[in-house]
Amino acid sequence: MDVRAWNCVQDGMMAHIVFVERDGTRREVAAPLGLSVLEIAHKNGVDLEGACEGSLACATCHVVVDPQWAEKLTPPTEDEEDMLDLAFGLEKTSRLGCQIVMTEALDGLVVRLPRTS
Amino acid sequence: MTMLDMARPGAQTPDGEIYLDYQATTPCDPRVVDEMLPWFTTHFANPHSVDHAAGRRVHDAVEISRVRVAALLGAQAREVVFTSGATEANNLAIKGAVRHLLSTGTARRRVITVATEHKCVLESVRDLRAEGCEPVIVPVGADGRLDPDVLHRALEVPTLLVSIMMANNETGVMHDMAALAPLVRRAGALLHSDLAQAVGKVAVDVRALDLDLASVSAHKMYGPKGVGALFVRRRPRVRLAALFSGGGQERGLRSGTLPAPLLIGFGAACDIAMREMAGDAARGRMLRDHLLHLLRAGCPGVEVNGDMEHRLPTNLNLRFADATALDIMARAPELCVSTGSACSSAEVVPSYVLTAMGLDAAQAARSLRLAVGRYTSRADMDRAAQILCRAAAGGA
Repeated sequence: MDVRAWNCVQDGMMAHIVFVERDGTRREVAAPLGLSVLEIAHKNGVDLEGACEGSLACATCHVVVDPQWAEKLTPPTEDEEDMLDLAFGLEKTSRLGCQIVMTEALDGLVVRLPRTS
Repeated sequence: MTMLDMARPGAQTPDGEIYLDYQATTPCDPRVVDEMLPWFTTHFANPHSVDHAAGRRVHDAVEISRVRVAALLGAQAREVVFTSGATEANNLAIKGAVRHLLSTGTARRRVITVATEHKCVLESVRDLRAEGCEPVIVPVGADGRLDPDVLHRALEVPTLLVSIMMANNETGVMHDMAALAPLVRRAGALLHSDLAQAVGKVAVDVRALDLDLASVSAHKMYGPKGVGALFVRRRPRVRLAALFSGGGQERGLRSGTLPAPLLIGFGAACDIAMREMAGDAARGRMLRDHLLHLLRAGCPGVEVNGDMEHRLPTNLNLRFADATALDIMARAPELCVSTGSACSSAEVVPSYVLTAMGLDAAQAARSLRLAVGRYTSRADMDRAAQILCRAAAGGA
C-alpha cells in the first residue's frame, strides 16, 4: 500500500462498494479508500478467496465489474491479464479484486462474484 | 552460367520432375535440417521437463524458436502458441475465440469468412452453427478479392469474429487487408487471418495489419511438416477456449508435448526467411514472370485467373484455352503441378475458389496452379514452358 493510500485509511475516509453475491444478493459495505476490493471483501466476510493474498500469483479473487463501472478503472496490467487467463467464468469486465484499489472516484462501485459453473 | 541457372537442391525431384507445387508444400531448407538433427538424438529431452538440465536445454531452444517465429510476424514471443500446423491454428483461433466470447454472455452470434478461404477455415466457421452462431460466407469479385463494401454490409449485424486469409492457396491473390481490418475493428469484432501462404513470401506485420489472431505453417516456408503457430494478441488481450484437454502446455491454450526438433526447424526457417525473404521474392517474381512470358508466347489463349497485381510473387493460376488441367497433367508427368482442388476417380470437382470468382465448371477444369520457390531455376522455367505448351496443344 502506498503512503497516500495508507493516509486515507488512517484518516478513515470511506466509500461504499456493492458486492453482488452468487445468489444475486446485493451487499453494500463500507470501503476504506486505499484498500483493495479483495481486502474489503475479507473485512466483510464476502466469499472471495484470494489464495495468494494479493501478490498477483493466482486468479481466485476474480470479480466481474459492473459494465458501467468498468471504464472508470485503471486498465489491467499484462500481469493481471496473465492471471485472468487462468480464471473460471471469465467475462468481458472481469478483474482481479486485489488489483482494484478504492478511490473516491470509485464510491458506489458494483462488483459481482463470478459464476462458478 | 548465372546464379539463376545454377541447379539448387530441391529444384527437381530425384526422378527428375520439375517441382512447381510450392503452395502445396516446400522442401525443407538443408540449413533447417542441419539445425534440427541434434534435437532428435543428442538433445532428445522433453521440453517441459524443466526439472533437469537436459530438459531445460530443449526448453530454451524451443523458446528461441518462439522468438524467431514472433520476430518474423512482428509479434512478441509470448503471443506465439505452437500448434501442429495452420489447420490446427485456424481451428483454435476460430472455434476457440468464438467459444470464449459466447461463454462471456455476449449477444453477438455472427461469424464471417470469405468464400475462397481454405477448407479448414470454412468448415470451422460452419461448424459453429451447431453452437448457435450465424456463419456468413461473403463472396469475392472476379479478381478473387473481397470488396470492403461487401464486408462492411456483412458487419452491419453485430459480429463475433471475421476470418480473412492474407494470400489465397490456389490463386495467390492477396486481399486488401489494410482496407478490411479497420472495418472489423470498428464493428468490434475479432479479426483472424490465415497467413499460411503469405509468411516467408511477403512481409507480414501483425501490428500493422491490426490482427487479433493469425495462423502460420512451417512447411509452407521451407520448414518441417507437422508444426505451425497461432499468434494470439496480448494487448488488448484475446482469449480462447482451448480445444484440447491435457497438461496445460502453451499457457493452457494447446496441451501436448511440443515437438522440439520440428519447432527448432520452424524457428530456423523463420530466421532464414527474415534474412532472405526479399531476395527470394524478387527472384521468384522474375522466374514466374519469365514463365508467364514464355507461356503467353507459346501457348495461345492462356489466361491468368485472379488479380495479377495483388498476388504472391511466386504464384500463377493459369487457365488454358482448350485442354483440361487433368489432360495437361497426364501429358506432362515430368511436371509437379496441381489443380488445387479435390480430385476423385478421375472426375474433377471444380475448384470452389475459382467458381467463387465467377468461373464456370469448364473454365475451372482448364485451370492449373503453379508456384515457384527457393530452388526453382531459370532452366526449370524454360523446360516447364516447353512441356506445358506441348501438353496444352495435345502432345504427350
